[in-house]
Amino acid sequence: MMQDQIRDVLATHGRMAVDPREVDEQADLYELGLTSHASVDVMLALEDAFDIEFPDEVLKKSTFASVHNIEQVVEGLVKAVA
Amino acid sequence: MITLPGEVDGHRVRVGCDVVAIEDVQDSLAAFGDRYLRKVFTASEINDCRGRNRVHRLAARFAAKEAVIKAFAEPDMPFPWREIEVTRDGPLPLLRLSGTLAEQAQHQGWASSSLSLSHADCHAMAVVLVVCSPVNDGEAGAGAR
Repeated sequence: MMQDQIRDVLATHGRMAVDPREVDEQADLYELGLTSHASVDVMLALEDAFDIEFPDEVLKKSTFASVHNIEQVVEGLVKAVA
Repeated sequence: MITLPGEVDGHRVRVGCDVVAIEDVQDSLAAFGDRYLRKVFTASEINDCRGRNRVHRLAARFAAKEAVIKAFAEPDMPFPWREIEVTRDGPLPLLRLSGTLAEQAQHQGWASSSLSLSHADCHAMAVVLVVCSPVNDGEAGAGAR
């Protein structure tokens, strides 16, 4: 399941204060400890996990603000590649 | 109680700051190598950071990029990190914007900036101060507030 993979990536690279596998999909990840720099690692790991590339137009703070937001963006990029 | 205005003589002032853990940059380099570098830094920045204190310099530049993003104060704006470049004029770091961020800076009336970088063993930091041109009524977009 895509969201599980995203949560695994966050757990490995997000350096968050809580386990991202346990948080609500709408929870604010920045409030939970995700830093701007960690979001770079999360993005690169998501690119590897889903064989996608984040274009400049989705490099927004809001893209990484919640599991839900990440899933929406990744889903769109995966569909665009397919 | 008073509310202090964010402008001086009609010139809006913007400020941004950020701090980055050196260890985080080290780990990103170990995990993603050149992909990390090419995604975040320009070729010129990568070149400037060669040699001693490479990771500290990269961390300071990342902090500068985030400081600039904060100075824009547009949470929903795309932030291609490579459109924010730290260059040097002798000992002084300078800010260079390109692409969409240069356009947005123009839209917000950015007229001049001052950038300061620093690092210790564990962290690097940056502060950017931006002075904007006076904005006439009707010219200011939402992003200029």
